[in-house]
Amino acid sequence: MKASRLTESSEAKQAGMSGHDSKYFSTTKKGEIPELKEELNSQYKDKRKDAVKKVIAAMTVGKDVSSLFTDVVNCMQTENLELKKLVYLYLINYAKSQPDLAILAVNTFVKDSQDPNPLIRALAVRTMGCIRVDKITEYLCDPLQRCLKDDDPYVRKTAAICVAKLYDINAELVEDRGFLESLKDLISDNNPMVVANAVAALAEIQDNSSRPIFEITSHTLSKLLTALNECTEYRAADAREAENIVERVTPRLQHANCAVVLSAVKMELITSTDVVRNLCKKMAPPLVTLLSAEPEIQYVALRNINLIVQRRPTILAHEIKYNDPIYVKMEKLEIMIKLASDRNIDQVLLEFKEYATEVDVDFVRKAVRAIGRCAIKLERAAERCISVLLELIKIKVNYVVQEAIIVIKDIFRRYPNTYESIIATLCESLDTLDEPEAKASMIWIIGEYAERIDNADELLESFLESFPEEPAQVQLQLLTATVKLFLKKPTEGPQQMIQVVLNNATVETDNPDLRDRAYIYWRLLSTDPEAAKDVVLAEKPVISDDSNQLDPSLLDELLANIATLSSVYHKPPEVFVTRVKTTAQRTEEDDYPDGSETGYPESSAQPVDSAASPPTSSSNVPHTGARQAAPPAAPVPDLMGDLIGLDNSAIVPVDQPSTPAGPPLPVLLPASTGQGLQISAQLIRQDGQVFYSILFENNSPVPLDGFMIQFNKNTFGLAAAGPLQVPPVQPGTSAATLLPMVLFQNLSAGPPSSLLQVAVKNNQQPVWYFNDKVSLHVLFAEDGRMERGSFLETWRSLPDSNEISKDFPGMVINGVEATLDKLAASNMFFIAKRKHANQDVFYFSTKIPRGIPFLIELTTVVGTPGIKCAIKTPNPDMAPLFFEAIETLLKS
Amino acid sequence: MISQFFVLSQRGDNIVFRDYRSEVPKGSAEVFFRKVKFWKEDGQEEAPPVFVDGVNYFHVKVVGLLFVATTRVNVSPSLVLELLQRIARVIKDYLGVLNEESLRKNFVLVYELLDEVIDFGYVQTTSTEVLKSYVFNEPIVVDAARLQPLNPASIFMQGTKRMPGTAVTKSVVANEPGGRRREEIFVDIIEKISVTFSSSGYILTSEIDGTIQMKSYLSGNPEIRLALNEDLSIGRGDYRSSFGSGAVILDDCNFHESVRLDNFDMDRTLNLVPPDGEFPVMNYRMTQEFKPPFRINTLIEEAGSLKIVGGSEHTLRAKLTFSQEVHGNLTKESGPVSMTFTIPMYNVSRLQVKYLQIAKKSSAYNPYRWVRYVTQANSYVARL
Repeated sequence: MKASRLTESSEAKQAGMSGHDSKYFSTTKKGEIPELKEELNSQYKDKRKDAVKKVIAAMTVGKDVSSLFTDVVNCMQTENLELKKLVYLYLINYAKSQPDLAILAVNTFVKDSQDPNPLIRALAVRTMGCIRVDKITEYLCDPLQRCLKDDDPYVRKTAAICVAKLYDINAELVEDRGFLESLKDLISDNNPMVVANAVAALAEIQDNSSRPIFEITSHTLSKLLTALNECTEYRAADAREAENIVERVTPRLQHANCAVVLSAVKMELITSTDVVRNLCKKMAPPLVTLLSAEPEIQYVALRNINLIVQRRPTILAHEIKYNDPIYVKMEKLEIMIKLASDRNIDQVLLEFKEYATEVDVDFVRKAVRAIGRCAIKLERAAERCISVLLELIKIKVNYVVQEAIIVIKDIFRRYPNTYESIIATLCESLDTLDEPEAKASMIWIIGEYAERIDNADELLESFLESFPEEPAQVQLQLLTATVKLFLKKPTEGPQQMIQVVLNNATVETDNPDLRDRAYIYWRLLSTDPEAAKDVVLAEKPVISDDSNQLDPSLLDELLANIATLSSVYHKPPEVFVTRVKTTAQRTEEDDYPDGSETGYPESSAQPVDSAASPPTSSSNVPHTGARQAAPPAAPVPDLMGDLIGLDNSAIVPVDQPSTPAGPPLPVLLPASTGQGLQISAQLIRQDGQVFYSILFENNSPVPLDGFMIQFNKNTFGLAAAGPLQVPPVQPGTSAATLLPMVLFQNLSAGPPSSLLQVAVKNNQQPVWYFNDKVSLHVLFAEDGRMERGSFLETWRSLPDSNEISKDFPGMVINGVEATLDKLAASNMFFIAKRKHANQDVFYFSTKIPRGIPFLIELTTVVGTPGIKCAIKTPNPDMAPLFFEAIETLLKS
Repeated sequence: MISQFFVLSQRGDNIVFRDYRSEVPKGSAEVFFRKVKFWKEDGQEEAPPVFVDGVNYFHVKVVGLLFVATTRVNVSPSLVLELLQRIARVIKDYLGVLNEESLRKNFVLVYELLDEVIDFGYVQTTSTEVLKSYVFNEPIVVDAARLQPLNPASIFMQGTKRMPGTAVTKSVVANEPGGRRREEIFVDIIEKISVTFSSSGYILTSEIDGTIQMKSYLSGNPEIRLALNEDLSIGRGDYRSSFGSGAVILDDCNFHESVRLDNFDMDRTLNLVPPDGEFPVMNYRMTQEFKPPFRINTLIEEAGSLKIVGGSEHTLRAKLTFSQEVHGNLTKESGPVSMTFTIPMYNVSRLQVKYLQIAKKSSAYNPYRWVRYVTQANSYVARL
C-alpha cells in the first residue's frame, strides 16, 4: 500500500506535470507493479512478452516503472527479437537511473554483438550507445570496434552512428581507441547509408571539437559525390560538400522531397559566379512548386524566397490563397512588397486592394500597410497608391480606415506638400478613430498641415477634451500638434488651447516623457518663439521604406544558411543555437583541394610575405572559430602602445588586427615636402578587411594634432570607414594607425585605374596631397576559391575575348610550394597544375569585390626566368591592374 | 538531426514519445502543447517552427494528431517537416489506419519503427519497403468500418494532398483475414484547384496542384509502367506549348525517387518499381487555362439578402444577417465568396493515365488495378 503511494507521487514528479494531468494516474490499480513483476517472471514466454509490453506502455504515459528493472533485464536473454527490442527500449530509458543494475545487462550486450544475426548485432551496438552510463561505455569499445568492420552494411551504419554517441559520452575514449580513423575509412564504404552515417558522425564530432578532425579533400569529395548519386533520400542534404558541383546537383531540383530541393537551391546560390545566372531560371519553378505543399513547408519555402529575392529579384509569380494560414499569407504579402516595381505595381495594387477587403483583420491591416510601403518605395506609383487608399477609406470599415490613416501619415512624410488635397477626406473619418496609433497619426497630420486646414483648431480641440484619458502616444502627438498650430496660427483660440495642454502635460501627468517634452516647448515658447518655430517646424528628413530590410552582411550570412532554421527565423545561427553548426562555405576554408594530387602536404605554414599582405589567420582555423570571429566593426588599434613605443601586437587583444611588424611602409609624403611631417602608408588586407596602414613621423619643431584624412574618388570607391584616430604627435616621435576602409563609397567613372589620391590635414599645417596605388591583390576576397569543376565551367563559359595574357620575362618562380603558399595567403587560390612540354602550367582562382572572378593560368619553367600569365574574367578592363598586382605578389 | 520525436493527441496526451539524444529538458511535450493551445485561444496562429528556451519545435498535423520533432541545432526545417510527414506515412502504411486508437494499440510496433527510422537523431530510412526487413511486430488492425465518418472540414484539411476518401485503409504488412493478400495497386490522380473569379465573373487566376498518388499491394515488387498523355509538355517555355491547342502543359513537376524517366521525353511513360506503401509518384503544377467545373457569378441585392447564382441552373440564396447596422458599402463588408467541393472521377487538367502496365510474373497473374481521378477545391473564390 505504502509503496504504491510513493510510486504515484514520484510518477507525477517524473512527468513534470501538474494537477490536471493526474487523470493518468487515477486509473492506476493498486498493486499494478507487483502484478507486473509476477508476470515478468512467468514461465511462459508469451506472458512475459505481454508483461514487458505493459511496462513499456506505462513508461510511455510517464509512469515510473523503474522498480521493475531487474525483472525486465531478466527477460533480455531471449531469441525472440521482438521481446529483445522491447527490453532494450526499457533499458535505454532507465539505465541512467539504475547504473549499478544496468551492468547486469552488459554480458548480454556483448554476447548479442557477436550474434550470427546481423540485426541482433546492430541492435546491441545501437542500444549500448544509447545507455549513457560510464561503466557500460568501457564495455562498448570492443564490440564497436568489431561492428565497424562488420560484413553487414546494416551493422556498419549502426556502428558509425554509435561512434558519435560514444564521442558525446566520452570523447577521449573515441580518440584513444582510434575510432575516428575507422570512421574515416567508412567514407569509402561501398554502401551509401554507411557513408552517409559516417559523414554525419564525423560532422557532428567536428562540431564539438576544437581540433580539425574531418577535412574534405578532393579525394573524399569525389567519394561523396559518388554516394550522392546512390543516395535516394535525405542524404543529399548531407553532401553539402558538393556545393560547387552544380551540374551534379541541378537535377535534384526535380526531386519530390522538398528538403532536397531547398538544399539544391542553396548549393546553387552559393556559387555566385555568372554561371549561376542561368541557373536562377531553373530555380524559380521548383521553388514555386514548393508553395503548393503543406502550409508548414510553404512557410519554410517562403521565408527562404524572402531572402533570395533580396539578393536576386527574380520574379516568382505566386498568389495568396484564400485558405492559406495567416502566417503564410503574411509572408507572401511581404515578398510581394519586395518584388513590387514600377512595372508590376498596378497588378500588385489590385491584389492588395482585394486583400484589404478580406475578412481576416490582421491580414487586412497588413495589406493596407503594404500599399503604403509601396507608395514610399516607388515614387512614381505613390499617387496610384494614394487613390487606392482613398477608395478603401470610403468603404468605411473601421480598422481599414484607421490603418489607411497610419500609412498616409508616412506617405506625407515621404512626399511633403504633395498630397494634402486628400486631408479633407481623412477628416471625415475623424470620429471613428479609436486606436491610439491611428489617432496619433491623424493628429500629426492636423498639426503638420494646420495652416491649410481651416478648422484645425476645432478639430484638435475635440481631441483635447479627453486629453487626460488618452494613451501616452496620443498625448505626445496632441502636445506637439497644438504647439505647431499655435506657431502657425498665433491667435486667441490656439493660445488658450496651448495653455490647457501645457498645463495638462506638466502638472497633471506622471508620464516623464510627456512632462519633459511639454517643459521644453514651454521654455522655448516663452524665451524665443522664433527659435521655437525653427525647432518645431523644421524640415524633416525624408523617410524611406527599409522595414523588414535586412542588413547586407546579415543577408549574406543568412543566404549561406539557406534551407536551415536560420533562414526561417532570419537570424544568424549563433543567436538561437547553443551548439553552432556552421553550414557556411566550408570547402572554401579548407585546405588545398588538390593537395594530395600535387604531392605536397596540406601545410599550415604561415606564408612568407611582404608587408603588403600580412598573414591571414583564417586559413587553418576550424570553421566554428572562423565564423564566430566575423569581421569586427571598425576596430580601433591601441594607440597607447604606439605612443610609448611598444610593439602593438603585444598589447592589442588577439581578435583585433594588429599593425604588422613587417618591412617599412613606403614613404608617400617625404619630410622635405611636408614641412617636417613624413607620411608612409599602404593598403593592407587583414582578416578579410581592407585597412590603410599609416605612419606619421613628426620631424617638425611643433606638436601636430587634429589629423584628418580624405580619399578622392577612385575606381574601387575606397573610403575611410570612420574618422582617423591619431593622437597628437610630439616633435621627434611618430604614430601609426590602421584605418579601416570601405569599398564602393566614392566611385570614380572612367577606365579602371590604380590611382588613389589622398589628402591629410592637421591643425598646424596646410593640407597635404599625395598619391598612392591600389594594388588589386589587397582586394582579393577570402572566398575566391573555386572548385575545379566550376573553374572549368567558368573558363569555358567566358568568351575568348575575355582572355588576356602578359609575359613577365624577368620573373622567376623558384620554390613552387612557397609560391603557392604566398599566393594563397593573398587569396589567390591554387586549383590545379599540369605539365606542358617542359613547362609547368598552374591554375589559380581569385575574386575581387562585387564577386568578379579571375581565372588565372601561369606558365613557366620552374627556376628559369620568364612567366606567362593568362587570365580570364568577366571584367577584362581590370586586367592591367591585375598584372600589376601579380607582379608585386611574385616579386615580393 | 533531431532530439526527440513525439505524437500528441488533440488533448495534448503523449501517445508516442521517443527521446533520441537526451539533450532537451523534460516536459518538452507539455511546453509545446501549451504554446500551441495558446495560439488557438486567441485566434492567432504563430508561424512554425516554434522556438522556446533554446529548443526548436517542428510539427505537422496529421488527422488531428500533432507529430512533433525537437532539435537544438540549426537544421534544415524542410527536412524535418518532410521527415515528420514521412513518419506519419510509414506508420499509416503499417497500421492501415492512422488515428489515436490505432497508435495506442500498436505502440510497440510504432516504437520499433521509430528506432529504425531514426538513430541518435539522424534519419536512417523512411522507406516502408526497407523497413520491412527490420521490423517484426505485426500490426493490430483497427476496424476501419468503425471509423467515425469524417466531417467535411477534415476532408479539406489544408495542404494535405491525400484525402481520406481515396486512402486505402489496409496495412501494407498485415495479412487479410483469409491469410492471403489481394494483389492490387491503386493510382489516384488528385487535383486541387485554385480559382479566383473577379466580381464580374472573369477568371483572374487559376492553378492546379496535382499529384499522382500510388499505393501498391503487389507482392514481389514487379516493375510498373505508367503512361501519361502524349501531348503532355513541361515548362511554359517549351516550344511545343506554342502550338498546343489541345496539349496539357505543366509549369513544373517533380517525381518520386523510384521513378525512372528514361522514356519520359520520348513517349511520356514513367517506369518504376513501386515501393510498398503510399507515395506520390509525381507532383505537378499547372497554370494553363482550364475550364473550371463551376463558375461563380455574384449578385448582391442590397435589400440585405445575398444571392449567389451557380452554373446556369442553380441559384443559391444566402441571407446575411449583420449583428449591427452596416456602414458604407455592403459589397465590401460581405467579403469574397468561397466554395469547397470534391468531384470524384473527374480532373480538370486532362492529364491522364493512359495505361498501367505491370510486369507479369505468369500468365495467370492479373492483379487488380485501380485508377481514380478526384478534383478538389483548394481556394475557390469569387470576389464581390
